[in-house]
Amino acid sequence: MGKKNLVMNNPLRVLGLEKKVQEKGAGMGLVMASAGLGKTAILVQIALDSMLWGDKVLHVSIGEGFDKTRAWYDDILALMAVGEKSESFHSTVAEIMPNRMIMTFKEAGFNQAKLEERLDDLVQQNIYKPVCLIIDGYDFSAGNHADLEEFKEFMVRHGLKMIWFSATTHRDDDRRSAAGVPAPCHEIDDLFDVVLLIAPKDEAVNLKIIKCNNCAVDPGTSLTLDPSTMLIQKG
Amino acid sequence: MSVDLNKVRNIGISAHIDSGKTTLTERILFYTDRIHAIHDVRGKDGVGAKMDSMELERERGITIQSAATFCNWKGNDINIIDTPGHVDFTIEVERALRVLDGAVLVLCSVGGVQSQSITVNRQMTRYKVPRIAFINKCDRTGANPERVTAQLREKLALNAHMVQVPIGLENDLVGVVDLITMKALYFDGDNGEIVREDVIPADLQVKCAEKREELLEAVSMFSDELMEVMLEEGEINPALIHAAVRKGTLALEFTAVFVGSAYKNKAVQPMLDGVNAYLPCPTDVENMALDLDNEEKEFKVTNDPADPLIMLAFKLEDGRYGQLTYVRTYQGKVTKGDTIVNSRTGKKVKVGRLCRMHSDEMEDIDGCGSGDIVALFGIDCASGDTFTTGEISCSMSSMHIPEPVISLAIIPVDNKAQINMSKALNRFTKEDPTFRTFVDHETSETIISGMGELHLEVYVERMKREYNAEVTVGAPQVAYRETITARAEFNYTHKKQTGGSGQFGRVAGYMEPYEEGEYEFVDAIVGGVIPREFISSCDKGFQKSLVKGSLCGSAVTGVRCVINDGSYHTVDSSDVAFQLAAIGAFKEGYMKAKPVIMEPIMKVSVEGPTEFQGSIMGSINQRRGMIIGTMEEGNYTVVEADVPLSEMFGYSTILRSLTQGKAEFTMEFSAFRQVPKGVNDELIKKYQAEKKNG
Repeated sequence: MGKKNLVMNNPLRVLGLEKKVQEKGAGMGLVMASAGLGKTAILVQIALDSMLWGDKVLHVSIGEGFDKTRAWYDDILALMAVGEKSESFHSTVAEIMPNRMIMTFKEAGFNQAKLEERLDDLVQQNIYKPVCLIIDGYDFSAGNHADLEEFKEFMVRHGLKMIWFSATTHRDDDRRSAAGVPAPCHEIDDLFDVVLLIAPKDEAVNLKIIKCNNCAVDPGTSLTLDPSTMLIQKG
Repeated sequence: MSVDLNKVRNIGISAHIDSGKTTLTERILFYTDRIHAIHDVRGKDGVGAKMDSMELERERGITIQSAATFCNWKGNDINIIDTPGHVDFTIEVERALRVLDGAVLVLCSVGGVQSQSITVNRQMTRYKVPRIAFINKCDRTGANPERVTAQLREKLALNAHMVQVPIGLENDLVGVVDLITMKALYFDGDNGEIVREDVIPADLQVKCAEKREELLEAVSMFSDELMEVMLEEGEINPALIHAAVRKGTLALEFTAVFVGSAYKNKAVQPMLDGVNAYLPCPTDVENMALDLDNEEKEFKVTNDPADPLIMLAFKLEDGRYGQLTYVRTYQGKVTKGDTIVNSRTGKKVKVGRLCRMHSDEMEDIDGCGSGDIVALFGIDCASGDTFTTGEISCSMSSMHIPEPVISLAIIPVDNKAQINMSKALNRFTKEDPTFRTFVDHETSETIISGMGELHLEVYVERMKREYNAEVTVGAPQVAYRETITARAEFNYTHKKQTGGSGQFGRVAGYMEPYEEGEYEFVDAIVGGVIPREFISSCDKGFQKSLVKGSLCGSAVTGVRCVINDGSYHTVDSSDVAFQLAAIGAFKEGYMKAKPVIMEPIMKVSVEGPTEFQGSIMGSINQRRGMIIGTMEEGNYTVVEADVPLSEMFGYSTILRSLTQGKAEFTMEFSAFRQVPKGVNDELIKKYQAEKKNG
């Protein structure tokens, strides 16, 4: 199996974004959901797609342990392996794993300056130069517009194609931006090029495209996720 | 013989090196009246601690070989395995955890959760071992049990809560407050043997009340009854709290934290109370066996002494009285004179002598029952064998035994040393499945291989001390492997005619990569083109070829050899002829099958102050390491990486100088991986040069 075919139902591919990411980068993306609804699962699928393209991914996990973050990748890969030829699947996985690095921080210990310091350590010593950054667990309720703008500049300084964030929504907070981006990101939605919202509906879970500049699908479209695996349902 | 299994505890004591677990065990033995004098690990009296029975262990102050002991505390029989603290001796830790029902995780109140504690905790999780924690050395300068408890939560992800608060710290440590009974405990007498209860000192009352509140909140999750009493703000019976702690511990969802100082004889007895109260008895734990009569289907052992015997040999020792076999009984019972059957070999053996082990001394017993850990004499078996009475055919799940990753040549200095060395190696390989030995036929050198530099170093020392076998040691060598990456055909004829009866055999077929195991031979011969009696000769020939690959002389693994054609001669074909034909066929196919060299990759975890993170990552990168991730927690960082073993020699010195001695690392074998082209070429070149120079 060719590695490009490994994740046919990856969110980026379904949105038609992966070519744009590869060509010139796609800016900042955001995956939103209530706690426990599978934001990390979506971020990991996005990361895996980048890794398959040969792009180096830095997965920054805030408030989660290293083993737990790695377990997300192992679990999603195990789900993808179902029905695949084990030999070639494993060799593809072994081939792409050098494209992933995990960095974990405590909630209180994380800020953009510290991340930059760590990234500089890696880049200056020629150890690892990521082009895709995943930031899972960033506290948007504590951040403001200026903080997020810093990340935009950071992205340019480090030649990143994309930064993907996750944000937790709260059921009792119904504030929304004009574009429909829920709190706590309703006042900073202009900074994001893509905003996805995981929303349960009856027995299924939908991945709603709230905002997507240059996507192949229109905002308002929903993708259906398999609730047991959080993978986009085939077909 | 123990009858009431509720009163049996099989526990291990595991921790990072130098956390004082051997001292703790020593005090346990003293307070349970098993020994009558206390000797320190590095004591001036020169006696050494009871459990460190090996001279080398006493000298280095670390436990190398785990010893088993038995004691009784307040009516409960406790079998204790004292386990080693260094990662190179992990097999000892793993074997202990496999047969134990619970464990005490010992931590240093100054050092906190260190790298080896993480490894040990991971192993405990793998074997689902419920645990309590004992924060030792609270008498030391810089002791901070609260920080260590927080680390247990953060670094080991344990739901850890203190069940005691120390009264004073460092030099002022005088006792502990039990947060469940809300009483102060002091340890009087020359050796702290008299436990005196008192009221909580006034200056600790507020703190203890707060800590108790925290504890109750955490354990109430495991008891509706406790939660109800708390909501009603009624008086809480300590028994209710004990029950909730026990429930949480058994479910692996709660870790009770005890504090004290074994060296200063403070608070060991309450920790023993904790073993009795919170750690499981054999019936609390689910152990699975494999039914050999039913496609190795798993079934749960019953722990019932009335059921047929199932007993696992988990450790062998060759001692003064012949082979000593440590066994754990999972169900049924065995008495002196019984005949038992080794499930692996089918051999019947008679149980001549049984004893309980007390470090290197023993106590004869008449029999043992379900849940017991005892030693048998004169039973010929291997580590990991299962014994039954023959009514059932089963095996306990196999133990995880890692492959050796490092080897070195040893050369005896004289003839006497040669004889003694053989005796020593024979014993060590039987005792320790991760320690292997063989003779390199090309150089005639004896090669020993194991799990790390220290692992081999200790065996070389033991050879000298215990067997008077003086040896010179070569430089450590990495155990490379060779494997093939493509399918290749072979068709080789071995023909020799030198007068008299000749040799003839033709072997044809193909070889291909075999990922599921080390080697597979497939006989696809039809029509008798190779007669039946020579098929096994072909297999033998291939197996001989696997011993030494032609790239760098390392063992070849992951190969399936299929023979589908051949020819023979009625007079000249023989076993030897077909073996040689297969060897020739292998050689012919091997180079066409795109062979590659594989090297052992170690999972390395480096822990140090955050200010050195850049230097640590740089040092790993220089060693062809792949950084998997970093974990930043306050002022320290853990860097996890996969690094080739060949690059790790001397790393401890480099790391020390890079970090002012503030960082440390552990490593364990992870996988074999193909070497990069540059290394590949270098290894081939080196091997060719060695061959040329004889």
